[in-house]
Amino acid sequence: RAHSNPFSDHQLEYPESPDAMDWAELYPAYVDGATGKMTQEVTIADIGCGFGGLMVDLSPEFPKDLILGMEIRVQVTNYVEDRIIALRNNNLGSTEHNYQNINVLRANAMKFLPNFFKRGQLSKMFFCFPDPHFKQRKHKARIITNTLLSEYAYVLREGGTVYTITDVEDLHHWMVKHLTEHPLFERLDGEWEAQDKCVSIMRNATEEGKKVERKRGDKFVACFKRLPSPQLS
Amino acid sequence: MALIHPVQSVVGFNGGEIVYVVVKNMIVMYRVLYGDYQMVGQWVDEHIDTVSPLSKKPAKKSKNNAGNAVEKTSAKGGPVIPSNIRAVTVFDSGKKLAACTDSDKAVVIFEVDLNGVENCLKLVKRQPFPKRPNAITIDEDGKTLLMADKFGDVYSMSIDSEVTDAINEESSPILGHVSMLTDIKFVKGTNDKKYLITADRDEHIKISHYPESYVVSKWLFGHKEFVCNVSIPAWKPKWLASAGGDDSVLLWNWMKGVKIGEFNYKELITPYLSDLHLAAARFQNANNDSIEYAVAKIVALPHIPYLAFFVEATNLLVILKVSQDGELSQAQTIELPFNVIALCEDENKLLVALDNRSSNNRDFVELISFDENTQKFAIESTESRSINSAISFSLVDNHVAITEVDSIYPLYNTISLKKHGEHFS
Repeated sequence: RAHSNPFSDHQLEYPESPDAMDWAELYPAYVDGATGKMTQEVTIADIGCGFGGLMVDLSPEFPKDLILGMEIRVQVTNYVEDRIIALRNNNLGSTEHNYQNINVLRANAMKFLPNFFKRGQLSKMFFCFPDPHFKQRKHKARIITNTLLSEYAYVLREGGTVYTITDVEDLHHWMVKHLTEHPLFERLDGEWEAQDKCVSIMRNATEEGKKVERKRGDKFVACFKRLPSPQLS
Repeated sequence: MALIHPVQSVVGFNGGEIVYVVVKNMIVMYRVLYGDYQMVGQWVDEHIDTVSPLSKKPAKKSKNNAGNAVEKTSAKGGPVIPSNIRAVTVFDSGKKLAACTDSDKAVVIFEVDLNGVENCLKLVKRQPFPKRPNAITIDEDGKTLLMADKFGDVYSMSIDSEVTDAINEESSPILGHVSMLTDIKFVKGTNDKKYLITADRDEHIKISHYPESYVVSKWLFGHKEFVCNVSIPAWKPKWLASAGGDDSVLLWNWMKGVKIGEFNYKELITPYLSDLHLAAARFQNANNDSIEYAVAKIVALPHIPYLAFFVEATNLLVILKVSQDGELSQAQTIELPFNVIALCEDENKLLVALDNRSSNNRDFVELISFDENTQKFAIESTESRSINSAISFSLVDNHVAITEVDSIYPLYNTISLKKHGEHFS
C-alpha cells in the first residue's frame, strides 16, 4: 500500500536505546573480527527511503560511510532488503564496490529516530519525495515539522546537512519555511547545491525522481546546514 | 441515599490545609476552618460539548469500570458525556490554580482568594487549544504555563494576559513528540539551567532546554511500555521518578541521563489484581486470562526520601524508600478501604481519592501522613473523617455530583495507554 499512518501502533522493532542497537547484522563487513565491535557508525540516513534508489547510488560515492534507509511500509522494506542482498551477491569479491555499506530498516523515524542514533551521530539526512499530506488537518503527519526538526537537529552533527526534494511545490514551501524558521538550521544556497554531488544523485537516483522525470514534472530541492547549538544560559 | 460521584482527582496544598477535588466536571475546594474542613470554593465547567455533525467521527472505544466495552456517543441528542477536568495544579504560593478541561480543550486559570466570601475560586482565564490538553506545568517565574496535549505537542501560554485567538490549528508548538504526551515538568537543573521534561505513550522521556526548547538535551531510555507520569523530588532535583506500563518503577539522574534505581513491583501487586485487570476482549488471549496492569501515578515526597505509587484498580499504596545512592526499596504498603483512583503529595502528606461508590458516600479521600518518630506513613483518621464529612455534606444536594451507579465516569483509564502493536501490521 502507498501510505502508512505514522501515528498508529505498528508492530515495530526498535532498540531500547542507541547503545542497544545491533548494527552488526545490517553491516557484517564492518564488524571487527577480533572484538566483534563495529568499526563504523551509520552517518547517513535516508528517511522514508522508499525503493532504495538513492542509497544504491550513494553507496559507491561514500564508501567510507554507513548508509541506512528507514521505511515504514513493510513490503517496500522487504523489497529493498532483497535488492541489497542481490546487489551484494552480484558484486561478491568485487574490488570496486560491493554495497556492504548500505542497508534498510523498517522503522517509524518520526517516533523512534533517537532510539537508533546518538546525539550528533549523523552527517547527512535525506528526505526525498515525502508524503505530502495535503490536508491541513494532517500537517502534523508531515515528516518536516518544527517539533520534529529539533529531534533531527539532535541526531545530526553540527555542520551536517539536511537534504529535501519534492515534486509538490506547496510541500517544498512548507519544508523551506519550517527549516528556515528553525534556529538550528540555515539554508544552503544554489551555488552550494550546484557543486554538491548528493544533490545531483538525489535529483536523478530515486524512483520517485525518475517518475517525476518521465512526467516532466518539477523537482524542488532545498538543503540546510545544521548550525551549532547556542550557548544556553 | 443519593450516590455522590467518586472523586476523580485530588490535590492538596500546605500540608492538607486546602484540598481540591474533581468530581465529574466540577472542582470543589475545601479548607480547614476552626479545625474542620469546609467547602470554600466551587467551579462547574458549564461548557457543553457541541459536536458538529460534520466532524462526527466513529465513537471511540473505551471500557467502563467493570471492564466492559462501552460505546461513547457525543452526537447531538445523545447522552451528554461529562467533561473531565485534568491536571489540577496549584501555583504562585497557593494563590492560583490551573487545570485542563476536555470539553473545549482549554486550560483554565483561577485566582484563589482565601478571603472570598462565597466562593474562593474565581475563574480568570479560559484559553482554548487546538488539541486536548493532558498535563500542565508552570515556569519558575509563575507567569508562563506550559501545556502538553494528547496530540504530542507542547504549547506555551502567558498566565496573566488576555485570552488569545492566536492559539489555534495554525500556531506552532514549542516542542513535540509524535506520540500522546502524558506528563510535562518544568525543572531547574543543579547547573541553574532550565529544562522541560516530557513523557509520552511510547516509552520516551525527553529532556529539552527551556526556553530554547528546540535544543534537545537528551532522552531517558529504559521504559519498555508507556510512561504515565514523572515526578521530581524537591530534595534532589537532578533525580526523577517515572512509572507507567512497566513492571518496574524507575529512578533516574536525569541530568546525567542515567538510570540509578529500579523497583519491580510485580510480585507485590499480584495478590491485589482482580477481574478489573483482565485485558479488553479485543486484546484477550484464547484462555481469557491475559492480565494487564499499570502504575497510574507515582509521586516523590518533596522533603523526605520516599516515593509513593499505586497500580490502577488496586487498593494498595506502595511506599518506597530512596537511599543516598538512589536505590529503591519497599518501605511500607498501605491497604486502602477501596481502589485508589488518584494520588498526590503535599508536604509530608499523601492524599488519595478512592473508588468509594459502595461506601454510602464515605471514604472519598484519605489523608496519609508521615510520622517522624516511627518513620512510617499512616492514615490520619480524624482529618480524613473531617474531609469526607465535608465532601459528603457539601455535595449531597449537588446536582452535578449526584449520579447513578452505572453512569460513573470511567475511573480506570491508564491501561488504555498500553500499545497493542501486535494487532496492527
